[in-house]
Amino acid sequence: MSLQISILTPERPFWNGQADEIILPTETGEMGVLKNHAPIITGLDVGAMLIRGGQATGSKDEWNSYAIMGGFALVKQNQVTILANEAVSAENINPEEAKEAFEIAKVNLEKAEGVKEKVEANFAYKRAKARYQVVKVLKKI
Amino acid sequence: MALRNAASFLGQRLVGAAELGISAAKSGAGEALTNAFVTDGVRHASNQAVKQRIRAIKNIGKITKAMKMVAASKMKNAQVAVEQSRGIVNPFVRLFGDHPGVEGKAGVTVAVTSDRGLCGGLNSNITKYTRALLKLDTATAGEAASTKLVSIGDKGRSQLMRAEGRLFSYAIADTYKVRVTFAQASLIAEELLKNNPEVVKVMFNKFRSAISFKPTLATVLTPETLEKQLTEPTGNRLDAYEIEATHERSDVMRDLAEFQLAATLYNAMLENNCSEHASRMSAMENSTKSAGEMLGKLTLEYNRKRQATITTELIEIIAGASALMDA
Repeated sequence: MSLQISILTPERPFWNGQADEIILPTETGEMGVLKNHAPIITGLDVGAMLIRGGQATGSKDEWNSYAIMGGFALVKQNQVTILANEAVSAENINPEEAKEAFEIAKVNLEKAEGVKEKVEANFAYKRAKARYQVVKVLKKI
Repeated sequence: MALRNAASFLGQRLVGAAELGISAAKSGAGEALTNAFVTDGVRHASNQAVKQRIRAIKNIGKITKAMKMVAASKMKNAQVAVEQSRGIVNPFVRLFGDHPGVEGKAGVTVAVTSDRGLCGGLNSNITKYTRALLKLDTATAGEAASTKLVSIGDKGRSQLMRAEGRLFSYAIADTYKVRVTFAQASLIAEELLKNNPEVVKVMFNKFRSAISFKPTLATVLTPETLEKQLTEPTGNRLDAYEIEATHERSDVMRDLAEFQLAATLYNAMLENNCSEHASRMSAMENSTKSAGEMLGKLTLEYNRKRQATITTELIEIIAGASALMDA
């Protein structure tokens, strides 16, 4: 109940709510934010973001996950603003589809030749991986 | 004998009625019309021509009515997207502030216009304000100012190229063929930042409501100018944040500024698109109304002419009949 979180994408404000803890997929790794964190701006990589407690889930110890396709996070005075290129909620991802897409993306990445193909395949791989991770988290925890 | 008298009497009465009719029309609203028939020297349209004109105007009225309904439905869809895209622009403005007064030597001004016409005074409004902005820039920054002008949309291109040809850099067209996406806006943002301008000013029509769209200026600072602004003693909120990144702070700031430009552009294009539909809707509504009025006037003229022709024929017949009787 202590953090005020808003996830914004260019298309629409994705989610607004409160939570106890949030784990961000930054470029330097996963970073957790709790109450009274120091003010910080950080860039976000393509990956899974986890939110615990508050309105996101029913109880205090449950985690909810979202796939974030890159962006930025601003933390200040218990207010977390996430500016993402694209965000998908775990509930809206089909597990089998995500797994399949992940496998296909992995294969494509290995097969890719040439700089352009490699970059595209890498991007598709990261996106598929983020979605798959998010779905896995939801099922495990 | 009695028949002859009756016929001539009838003829007189008819002629009298016709005269009455014409004088009544004269004294009424159709004075100009009847003068046109009665006094010659004026080339007036034959009834056939009037009939054709009536048909043409009816068709135009139908077309504009259909266009209005199409624009109304498109506007409804666009409105939803616009309101949702506004959310992301606010945190940026809160963070970086909006500095329309920033003077930059090498800036880029973007005018967001529509691709197609028949949308009221929207595009000429933007052109007017953009030209005023450019004059202001050259006034404050002096002759060294080199503002590049970019237009999104065909209408802006044609108008601005004529007006400010030497400053015009390039135009981006066909953006609205498919729905505007953030990827498009990012591409345009990247293109705009290629030559490291100091400030990017975006002029677009902000959609306030179905009848109100105001030209708005959004100013986005590029990373270098941002740094300059921040290190000045105005004490910007940005310093309160610590930046955590693998690369240097400048890289993060550059990414952030690009993201801000892309988000602002996306919002600007959506707002302008929605304003275009709303403006087209009201323009077509006015057009349909005018067509209806014109149609009414023309139908009146047509009917009067038709009735006058019939009356004239009747008079001729009666006169001829009574002449025969007298003879």
